[in-house]
Order: sequence, then structure tokens, then C-alpha cells
Amino acid sequence: MSTITGRRNAVTAPASAKKPKPGQGGSSIDRQRRKLLVPFVGPAFIFYTVLFIIPAIGAGWISLHVWAGSGPMKFVGLQNYVKVFKDDLFLKSFGNTLLLLFVVGAAIFILAFAMTLVLRDMAGKKIVRNVIFFPHLINALVFGVLAGFIFNPGGMVNTLLKPFGVTEPPAWLAQENIFPLIMATLVATTTGYFTTILMAGVDRIPPYFYEDCALAGATAFQRLRYVILPLTWDVFGTCAVLWTISSIKIFEIIWVFGGSSGAGIPPTQSWTTAVYTYVTAFSGQSTPAYGAATASAIISLALVSVLVVLLRRAMRRDAVEF
Amino acid sequence: MSTKSRFTRTLAVLAGASLALTACGGGTDSPQAEQKQEGGTLTYWSMWKEGEPQQKVIAGAIADFEKETGATVKVQWQGRSNVQKLVPALNTNNVPDLVDGPYAKLAPVLGDTGQALPLTDAYAAEVDGKKVSELIPAKYVKVSNIKDADGKPWMLPYSLSSDGIWYDAAKHPELESAPPASWDDFIKVLDTFKAEGKTPLAADGDIAGYNSMWFTTALVRTDGTGAFAKVAADKSGAAWDAPSVLAAAKKVEQIAQGGYLVKGYNASKWPAQQQVWANGGAELLLNGSWIPTETSTYASEGFKFSSFPFPPVAGQPKTVRADFVGWAIPKKAENPKLAQKLATFMLGKKYQDAYGTDAKVLPIRTDAATSPEIASVKKALDSADGVYLQNDGVTAPGYVEKILWPINDELFLGKIKADEFVAKMKAAQIGYWKDNS
Repeated sequence: MSTITGRRNAVTAPASAKKPKPGQGGSSIDRQRRKLLVPFVGPAFIFYTVLFIIPAIGAGWISLHVWAGSGPMKFVGLQNYVKVFKDDLFLKSFGNTLLLLFVVGAAIFILAFAMTLVLRDMAGKKIVRNVIFFPHLINALVFGVLAGFIFNPGGMVNTLLKPFGVTEPPAWLAQENIFPLIMATLVATTTGYFTTILMAGVDRIPPYFYEDCALAGATAFQRLRYVILPLTWDVFGTCAVLWTISSIKIFEIIWVFGGSSGAGIPPTQSWTTAVYTYVTAFSGQSTPAYGAATASAIISLALVSVLVVLLRRAMRRDAVEF
Repeated sequence: MSTKSRFTRTLAVLAGASLALTACGGGTDSPQAEQKQEGGTLTYWSMWKEGEPQQKVIAGAIADFEKETGATVKVQWQGRSNVQKLVPALNTNNVPDLVDGPYAKLAPVLGDTGQALPLTDAYAAEVDGKKVSELIPAKYVKVSNIKDADGKPWMLPYSLSSDGIWYDAAKHPELESAPPASWDDFIKVLDTFKAEGKTPLAADGDIAGYNSMWFTTALVRTDGTGAFAKVAADKSGAAWDAPSVLAAAKKVEQIAQGGYLVKGYNASKWPAQQQVWANGGAELLLNGSWIPTETSTYASEGFKFSSFPFPPVAGQPKTVRADFVGWAIPKKAENPKLAQKLATFMLGKKYQDAYGTDAKVLPIRTDAATSPEIASVKKALDSADGVYLQNDGVTAPGYVEKILWPINDELFLGKIKADEFVAKMKAAQIGYWKDNS
């Protein structure tokens, strides 16, 4: 007992002696740093509070009410959350959001890694990299409109299929096919973006690691497993978080893809939580339900937060210095 | 200089900056207030976009108004989402003085919530020697509840939207002289087209609002105006068991499963199928009175727009859909007097005529001129005994988008039968009212 306390004292005593008292002491650089903290962090903090934290708290407050967006508010407690969770349509939308997050996410990262490996040794990789990045620059609206040209009953695909004797082509744009089409489009447009980021990470790996691999007779898979993955793990982790956040917000591509270039709303089969939230608040066809809409938005926010924390935990590794 | 004073200085700078920012949003500076006393300034958020025919008419009227009164009108041509944008603005002090939109959009956010200004001055004003209140036919006001809790009107309509079954009168003069007088007649017409190897009907099946017109109109035809609204409001769902409801659904089933609809209507993107129709690929199209404006750019040469009402039912009053498009003024508007003046000014015959002939839509004034494209709808409206609203006036939060449209789509796109539709609607509606009452 006494040895433990004695040891602890021994450890803490020199530490507290070293530690400067707050507000004074320390090196002059430390002091300067502390002085600059408020003017540098302050403005960002204020903007962040005004633009994000206060509206988020406001949304939380609204979600406890029945409210048409203006006029009287009626306090209902957590009823909106209960209602939203009991709504089959919300659960379906939620399921679609998870499909985008996990299925599309997995497809994107598998493809991105595969492309990274192929592109690393390829001639003209810079051009190829630009080409695969290009779809990401195009507004999702364009794909929504293009879908009509390509997949309409009298559209490009069916016209091209006709000479091959296909007189009964599949109903490409039928309500149940729209969501898979959206998923495919997302994979096609987003893979290039993450490939570019991952490649930047892979390019950082010094060539002598590969030479080592060659000397040791490592297979391509072993090279990926023991060199590339560990050395790009932090980049991959950041990409995973980026995708999680953006996938939960996916909205416009669904809005324009679902056969609604301004004249209607997408079929419920392709709704995500973002679309559900929007329709609940702004459909323009019925009394807006801001309470239920914000409740659904808050659930999405909670989902993102939890997933990001879990991801960060799952991906945590000691950074490999090289 | 100590850390503390530097900190205070930073704070002061930030406070100053944020004050400057808030000042930008207010817009109630004194020079503007002075100006108000002379000509006045007002803001107008319009549902039309720059370049649309309706926008051109309104822009012309505003130019004349500015010349005549010396006022300045700041118009924002926002497009159809103007009412959605209005909702958050209503909670600030930065509201427009005048907005326009269809009744179905304005009522839930302005009228029903008591946020709209009663337009007493506007209705009492005179336009072309007639009181404004007399210019708006009473039969329309009967179904559109544009009166607030005190019984004062809050909306000033300037145009109507209606619907009908559209066709090319150059190709089918027989429909113009003898439109189908009953549902059976209508089916006979469809069968004849089919026998001739033509495609009887076009439909953009991806627009749920067009698909649901079939069911709601069929029900309103047999049971009268407000019939669907009554069914939708029934918390027990028992109203769905009525034989007339099933009969209406059976009619939709007949259309969906009868092989009358253009191939691929269930897997296309608007406006693909109305284009097919306008190019002669299908004979008939159930759609709104905006169809001539929307399809005229791609209609085949010599296309003569005409329409007949959804087949009537013998013994029932002759009714037609009529939805108001009009102006409203938020209670918080800064310059409501001038806004009412502008609204009544734009009801002048000159602009109403232009609305009918240039924009080719239905002006609210019965004495206004209309273009030949919508003469058929105008005739139907003028001779109707009564009118009904889009979705029969159902505006309960989410009912139309989350209950009616998805289930009706299944029926109209041929995935379920009429009895399944009725059962599904009943179950969904019971659940809806359990959660929403």
C-alpha cells in the first residue's frame, strides 16, 4: 500500500512541478499560442454555433411539436418520433438509406481499391485518373434527366436493342427498378472520386517497399495485405467517414431520377430518409408537418453520429510512420 | 497590451460584424421608408419563372402598374417552389408583400394557419367599373374555402386550372360533336380505337398526381363533390366499404388492365408519354388545362387541342374540376395596401384577356377572352352546375403523398386489382388516422 502511494507521489511530484500554472509561465511560444487561441478559434466557433448548433437545437425543439411551418405550434412531446418510427414508409426509406450506405459503399470501395491497384502500374495513369474522376464533377440532375433519354420506352437502350430482336424490353424505369438504377449510377459516379483520394495515399508509399516485396516473392494479394492496406489505412478511414456522411444526405439524384422533373415526387420505392424528410415538410400537396419532418431529420443526424463514431473506432490503428 | 484587452477588442469587432450582417437582412432603413410615402415599394414572389407565358403577362401588368402609380415592384420569379420558400420566411420579418400560387398550395400554409391578410380592400375595389367581388363567379368560391375564420376572403384568384380528356380535334371531329356521355360510352370509344389498331390512351405513369385523377374523379362523378374528401376523413376506414368506392376503383382497373394505355406508361419519365400523345402516338390523354401550353412546342403539325370532361354519370349534377390560382398577402407584409392595389390592378380585363389568349390558360373573369385551345374546357366550366378541387380538396398532412399516391399507383400501374386497392387503402387509412388525430 505504502509503496504504491509512495510511487504515485514520486511520479506526480515532478510532473506537477514541470506543469506551468494556467495563464502564466511556460515558454513564450506557449504563451503566444494561448493568446492567439481566442481570436483564431473564436470566430469559427461563433459561426459554427450560429449556423449549426443553434439550428440543430431549434430542430430538436420543433420536432417536439405539431407545426405547419408557421402559425400556432402544439407541443406533443416525443409523439412525432413514435409516429415516424411506426410509419412503414419511414422504415422503408431508412432501409434504402442503409442500402446506399453499405451496399453502394462496399461496391465503391472494392472497385476503388481494385482500380487503385491496376492504375498504379498503368501507363497514362494520370489521364485515366482524370477520366474516372470526371463523372463526379457532373451534377446529379444531369443523370436524372439522362435516365429519361436512355431508359424511356422509346429511349436509346430500347432503340439499340430493337435490331437484336428484343421486342419486349424490360420496363427499365418501372417504380421497382428505379432504386437499383440509382444505386448503379451512384457507384459509377462516386468510385472515381474515392479512387483519386486512395491513389494519393498509395502514391505516398515509397517504392522500396515494393522492391522488398518483389525480392521476397510476395504475390499481388500479399502486397495489398501487408504493404498497401496498412500504409493507406488512415486515408481509407477518412474516405469511409466521408462516404457515410454524404450517403445519408443523398437527395437530389433520387428526386430527379424518380420520374419527377418538376411535375411530381419520386415513387415511395426509392425514398431515402432525406426524401422522406423533404416530402413531409415541403411536398406542397398537403399541410406541412414540420414536427414529423424534423424528427426524421434528427433521427438521420443521430444515425450519422453513431455510425461515424463506430467507424472511427473500428478503423482505429496506430499510424504507421514511414 | 494585455490579453484581456485584446480579447475584448476581438469581441467588439465580431459584435460589430454580426450587427452589420443582421442589418443586411432587415431592409427597413429610413431612406426606404421615405420612398414608401411617394410611390412605395413592394416585393412579389411569383410562382412563374422568367420566360413562361404567364410570367410575361404578369410582368407586362407590373410594368403598367409602376408607370401608373410610380410604385416600385420588386419581383422574384421564383417558380413553383415559391410557396415552400414562403413557409420559413413567415417566421422572419422578411416576408414578401404578395405571393401567388394554386389554392391547394396556399391554403395549407397561409389560409388554414391564419397567416394570410383578409383582402377586404381588394374585394371592395372596382376594376373596369365592376366590383372585384362580382368578377369571381360564386360557384368557384363555394368549394374553395378562401375565407378565413372571420369569413373574410384571403385569396384573390386570377386564373383557374381544370382538367379534361384531351384529344386532337383535327383527327377526331366526332368527339367534338358528340363527346362520350357515360363511362360505357367512353369505354366504347376506347374499344373502337383499339379495334382500329390505335393506342387509345396515353399517361405519364410516373406522375402519381395524374394517376390519382382517375380514381378521385370517378368517385366524385358518382357520389358528388366532396365524396372523396369524406372517404379520406373517415377515421374508422369504413367508408372504403361503400359499393360506389369499389365501383370507382373498378373503373381504374378497367383502364389499367384493359390494354388501352400506351405501352411503357408504367416505366417512363414525364413528359415522354404526353409527347407521344401530342405526336399522334395515342388518341386520348386525361390531364390538366395546362396541356396546350405544355405540349404545344412539340405537338404534331395541325394539332387542334380539344377536350371533353371525364365521363359524366346520368342523374348527377354536371361538375368540373376548378382550382384557383391566385394572390395572397401574408399578415406580416410591410406594404399590404399597395399589394392589394397591385393585385386588383392585374385583374383588369386587358391582362385577363392576355392571360387567356397569350398564356392560353383559364382567366378567372368569365368575360375574359380565351384561346381556341382551351375553349372546350372554358365551355365545360361555364356550363357546369358545380366544381370540385384537385384531390377533392384533401390536404391532411401527408395523406395524399404517403397513402393515396403509392397505393393508387399500384392500381393504375396494373400491379393490384380494385378490391386489393380498397382493402389496402382502408388499412392504411385506419393506421394514418390512428397516428394523426
